[in-house]
Amino acid sequence: MSRSSSSSAILSQIPLFRLEFAPHKYNLPSKSYFNITRKSVLTRISCTRPPQNTPSQQQLNLSVLRFTLGIPGLDESYLSRYIGYTFGTLLLLNHFVGSDSTSITPAQLISEVLGLSLTAFCVVIPYLGKFLKGATPIDQKSIPKGAEQIFVMTQNISDTLKEDLAWGTYILLRNTNSISVLILVQDALCVRGYWNTPRDVSKENVLDWFRKQIQRFGFSNLKDTIYFPLVADSELLGMLPDGTRSLLVQPIFQTPKLSSSQTEKGKGFVLLASTVDYAYSDKDKAWIVVIANKFRGKDICSNV
Amino acid sequence: MEAGTLICNVLPLTPKRRRFPSCQSSFPCSVKASLSSQGDYRGPKPKREWVADWVSKNDDVVRSLPIYVGGTSLLAVLFNRTVSGIAPVADASSSQSRADLLTLGLAVTCILNGLVWISIRPKSISVVNPEGVECQRIYSDLPDSVISELLWAWESLSHATCCRSLVVIYDGICLLQIGFAAASSSDGGGAMVVNAKKLVEGSLYNGGIRSGSQSYLANLSLYPGKSELPFLPSNTQAVILQPLGDKGIAIVGGDIVRGFTTSDQAWITLIGEKLDATLTKVVNRIPLAVEERS
Repeated sequence: MSRSSSSSAILSQIPLFRLEFAPHKYNLPSKSYFNITRKSVLTRISCTRPPQNTPSQQQLNLSVLRFTLGIPGLDESYLSRYIGYTFGTLLLLNHFVGSDSTSITPAQLISEVLGLSLTAFCVVIPYLGKFLKGATPIDQKSIPKGAEQIFVMTQNISDTLKEDLAWGTYILLRNTNSISVLILVQDALCVRGYWNTPRDVSKENVLDWFRKQIQRFGFSNLKDTIYFPLVADSELLGMLPDGTRSLLVQPIFQTPKLSSSQTEKGKGFVLLASTVDYAYSDKDKAWIVVIANKFRGKDICSNV
Repeated sequence: MEAGTLICNVLPLTPKRRRFPSCQSSFPCSVKASLSSQGDYRGPKPKREWVADWVSKNDDVVRSLPIYVGGTSLLAVLFNRTVSGIAPVADASSSQSRADLLTLGLAVTCILNGLVWISIRPKSISVVNPEGVECQRIYSDLPDSVISELLWAWESLSHATCCRSLVVIYDGICLLQIGFAAASSSDGGGAMVVNAKKLVEGSLYNGGIRSGSQSYLANLSLYPGKSELPFLPSNTQAVILQPLGDKGIAIVGGDIVRGFTTSDQAWITLIGEKLDATLTKVVNRIPLAVEERS
């Protein structure tokens, strides 16, 4: 008993947000040769060679020259967009200020039109690049202003379920781009992270307030995962903190869903919100399904 | 209710992953689902993401697109300059030259961006099917909750990563051996039994416990420590050794070289901590000399 409550206490004290990914130490040499990690590369030009003691690995890996300006905070993926804006502005300046309007030749007009369409293309390039295979998420999640961090859980449930909910919410906040998570399993509710609860709701009633919101939208009745990579709906944002850009709701089913013709009602759901758009890749979604399945066989009242 | 099409990711949890050739990864990609199956859900529905879908499907084309666009524009600018009779001098004296220079700069940016995209194209490495037999061996004297947690760990790893074999050793006993295992030469071709005592004395286990952190053997064929893991299929490509506290280890075998991403490694570490917390509670009750059941 004391161990489960102490572990929940420990979990709630561990900082939830890591804005930089700190890699774990790996004993054996499995160096990654590509500096394609989650955060942007800060070194000048990074070019790695395979270590001399594993010559057979040289055939498999290629050194990659990754261009970077070395300015911290400047993301090189957006470089083409900045260049596009700059040159586009200069083109317009050149057209209106740098030449008499009477003496503009058709050749110059053709050049300028070409230049402006290239500007538009350069501006769009980072947006297209986000969807390519192997693209790393560029934006780091940011903490919304004015929203409070909360951690509440239904009290009259078994200790194992409390521990599992605490662990599940912690692991989802830490390993995905989420800032808020809500798990509902039958009647047990756990809410963690940054939420936009109204000021007049007291701490005791906050769980009821969440249940009302859930009832309003009918999240418990979802049959499939629902994913909003770009949230625009202001209705939902009443519950979610300002600055939410992505939302994912994953229903929890009693048995593994084998065909889409099954219309079994779920026994709960996992809701995740993030401040970056396109926050959840396919791999993230697979892991979220895995965490949702953890609560599959749980009964809220049994004590194990 | 049919206001738009709904993107739903249907992710059935089956032990074998279904592979869709048109998807960017081995996970099922988004499919259209009719809204009428949602029942009483009253919230907003997500819109179809045309651009995202198109780019994911035509990855190669999109990667080389900036090069073609930039190259064509470059040639067009030069052609325009020669056709209109202007001397090909790169100076900024006339406004025509300035406009041309700016356009050339943009074209070069596009070309460079295209080159960067092509150079960082992830190499697709093929799956190597493990040679061995499937098995499921669970230590008999465990409470049901622990067994279900161990099975959940196996389901999660096999669904979300390229894991094809999982062995969990705790307190000198092999608690779980599931997935593919090397075929044993004796025992009529059944799966090889894990010799937990020998593993616990070996360097891989002790190194892992001493460091307390995960070891990722990205390409197992290159490591001499492979001989300590004879129970894994001989062509296992990548292995993660995750220590469970200071009393156990989880050995996760995958079928793709460098198949576990950094995100997978982080998840596996956290799952290992959870398993350690669960197993510590029960392991004190397990008597030392009990046999496994297969």
